[in-house]
Amino acid sequence: MRTSHERGIAEVTITVESTIKFPYKRSLGPVIGPFMTALAEQRFIAIRSGSRVICPPLEWDPETAAELPRDFVDVGPAGTVCTWSWVSRPTEQHPLDRPFAFALIKLDGADTALTHVVDVESIDQMSTGMRVAPRWRAERLGHITDVEAFVPGEEAITVNGGVPGEPVTMMSYDASITYKIPVSDNTIKAHEATAQGRLVGLKCPVCERIYARDRGFCPIDTVELTDDHEVELPQRGVVTSYTIITPVQYPGQTETEPFSRVMVLIDEIDVVMMYQPLVDVPVEDVRIGMRVAVVWASEAEKADAGRPGNLVGWMPTGEPDNTDPSLANRIM
Amino acid sequence: MSRTRNDDIAVIGWSVSPMERHTAKSETQMLLEVVSGAVDDAGITRADVDFTCAGSCDYVAGVPFSFVQNTDAIGAWPPKSDSHVEMDGAWALYESWVRLLLGDMDIALAMGSGRSSTSDPAILYPMEMDPFYLAPLGADHANLSAMQARTLIDSGMLTERQMAEIAVRTRRDAKSNPLAQVSGDFDVEELLAADYVNAPLRLHDMPPITDGACAVVIARADKARELCENPVWITGFAHYTELHNPGMRDLRSSTAATLAAKAAGVDEAPIEVAELQASFTHEEPLLVEAMGLGPEVSVNPSGGPLAANPIMATGLVRVVEAARQIRVHGRHRTLAHSSSGPCLQQNLVCIMEGD
Repeated sequence: MRTSHERGIAEVTITVESTIKFPYKRSLGPVIGPFMTALAEQRFIAIRSGSRVICPPLEWDPETAAELPRDFVDVGPAGTVCTWSWVSRPTEQHPLDRPFAFALIKLDGADTALTHVVDVESIDQMSTGMRVAPRWRAERLGHITDVEAFVPGEEAITVNGGVPGEPVTMMSYDASITYKIPVSDNTIKAHEATAQGRLVGLKCPVCERIYARDRGFCPIDTVELTDDHEVELPQRGVVTSYTIITPVQYPGQTETEPFSRVMVLIDEIDVVMMYQPLVDVPVEDVRIGMRVAVVWASEAEKADAGRPGNLVGWMPTGEPDNTDPSLANRIM
Repeated sequence: MSRTRNDDIAVIGWSVSPMERHTAKSETQMLLEVVSGAVDDAGITRADVDFTCAGSCDYVAGVPFSFVQNTDAIGAWPPKSDSHVEMDGAWALYESWVRLLLGDMDIALAMGSGRSSTSDPAILYPMEMDPFYLAPLGADHANLSAMQARTLIDSGMLTERQMAEIAVRTRRDAKSNPLAQVSGDFDVEELLAADYVNAPLRLHDMPPITDGACAVVIARADKARELCENPVWITGFAHYTELHNPGMRDLRSSTAATLAAKAAGVDEAPIEVAELQASFTHEEPLLVEAMGLGPEVSVNPSGGPLAANPIMATGLVRVVEAARQIRVHGRHRTLAHSSSGPCLQQNLVCIMEGD
C-alpha cells in the first residue's frame, strides 16, 4: 500500500493504492469439466441441444433451461471469425502481451461461437469470416487459456500430440484489481492523532454519540462530522465481549495461532471500540470485565515501515475486574 | 388520466449527485447527499421512508460488503426494512416498486452509487463475466461491446459514421444538462479521424468514467397525492434477461429489451421521450429498434450515458431524466431503460406518465 497525490478536477486528493487479489478456485461440474479436460488433450468438444451444437458447452438448454443429456461431440479445431474487436493496449489479464484481437469464433461443426483471442501482427490481418485455428500451449492445465491464441489458417498448431490425462475437475482463476481510493480528511486526522499517541473520536452534535475519528458522519442523524466535533477519549477501559479466532489459512492470512479480539468500553464516556487486539494475554485468560489500557508502538516499532499503525492494542492494567453483569450487553 | 387505485405508485422525489471523473467523496458520502436531496425533494424526512433498496457493486467499490457501510446514508436507526441488489439502482427501484405493491408500506427509496474511477475498467469488468469461459481471457465490457458493434456494421445495419453522428447529437444535447460530464459541439469528421480504442469503437463511441450517485423516492397513490402536486406515475415496469455468453446470442438485436418494453406496455400509447442506457453509440439504434420506438421519440435528450456514466447508478439516472421530462418539461408519457451484463444481456424498462 502506498499513498500518492493525484490532481482531481477541483482539488488535490490523497489516494491510497491497494491491490486486491481474488484467487478463485472453482469446481467445473459434469459439462465444463469434460470441455476443459478436452482442452488439455488439444481437442474441443461441444454439447448437443436438440438440433443445435453448443460450444463452449452448457449444462442446460439455453431456450428451455432443461438439463441437457451429456451428448458431447467433437468440433473444430478450425473455425470462422463471426465478429472481432482489436485490443491495441493489452492488460496483464489478457493472454497475449502484444496487440491482438478478441473474436467470436464458430468452430467447425458448432452452431454457437466461442470467445477467444486471435494472434496476428496487425489489425489489417483481421476480417470477419476469416478462418482460424488454435495454437495450443505446451503446458496445458484444462483451462480456457490452454489455447494460447487462434491464428489464421486451417491447421491447429499442436504440441506433442494430445495424450489424455486425468479428468480436469477444478480450475483456478487468479484475478487482481488495483484501486486508488481517495483518503478522507477525517481518516488523515485519525492517523495523525494515533501517531501522536492520542485516542480521539467525533461527537455527533445531535445525538451526542461518539464515533471513531475517521467516520465522516453520524449514521443515525446523518449529520456530517468534522474537526469541530473532535473529542479526546480516555485511554483506559473494560472488556465487554471477545472472540477467539482460529485462523483459517486463506491467502493473505498471516496469523497461524488462535488469537483474541475484544470489545473495549472506554472509561467515563459511552463508546465501545470494536475488535481490538490484546497484547501479551494468552487466549485462555481473556474474559469479560478485564480492565485494559492502550499500548502504543515503541519508537523501534514506529520506525518499522511495514507496521500498519501506531495503536498496537490493549494490555491488562492489573486492576480488579469489573463484575457488573450488564457489561456483556455492551458490544456497540 | 385519474388515478383511483392505491396500487398505483408514483415517483415523488429524486436527487442526482454531481457527475465527476474523480470524486474525493466515499460512496456513502455521495449517497448521504442524494438521499438527503431526494427526501427533501419529496417533502419528507428519512424517518418517513418505510423501505430502502440500494444498487451497488463490491468489485467497483473495492470493498467487501460495501453496501453495509452504505446503509449509513439512510439513517437506519431505529432499524429500517432494507435491501440491496448487486445491480444498477434501476433494479433497486424495481424491487422497491414490487415491495410497495404488497400494500403494507407507503414510501420507498431506491439508490444507486458507484465510484468507478478508482480502478481500470479493462481490469474491473472481466469480473462481471462468466468465470470459466470469459473472465480468464480478460474479456471486458468494451471489447465484447465492440464485437457487437462490428456485428451491426457487418450486417449493414449501422456505419461508423452513423455512430459518430450519435455521439455528436448526444454531446450537443448534453449541453443543456448541467449534470453532463461530456458535452459540447463536435464535428463528425474530426471524431472519425481519431484512433480506435477497441476497434471498431473510438473514444466517442464509449461512455466516460464517472463517479456518481442517485436516489429516487416512490410512494403509493394516496400518499403520493398527499405529498406531491405532480406525481410521476409508474405505469409499466419490467425486466428480462437472456443468455450471458455473447457468442450464443444473435447480437443484431436484444430479445430481452424487446420483451421488457412489451411487458411494460410500450405500445399501449405513444412514448414522447426515451432515456436509454445506451452506453455505447451502437447500442442506441439497436435498442430503439428492439423496443419498437418510432422516429417521433426523442432519445436521450439528457445526453444519456455517453454524457455521464456513473456505473450502478446510470440506469436510475435514466429514470430520473425520464421523470424530469414529465414533471419539469410537461411531457405526458416517457420511458426509462437500464441494462446490465455484456452486450445488453439484461434489460429493464420503466414507463412513466403524468396526470
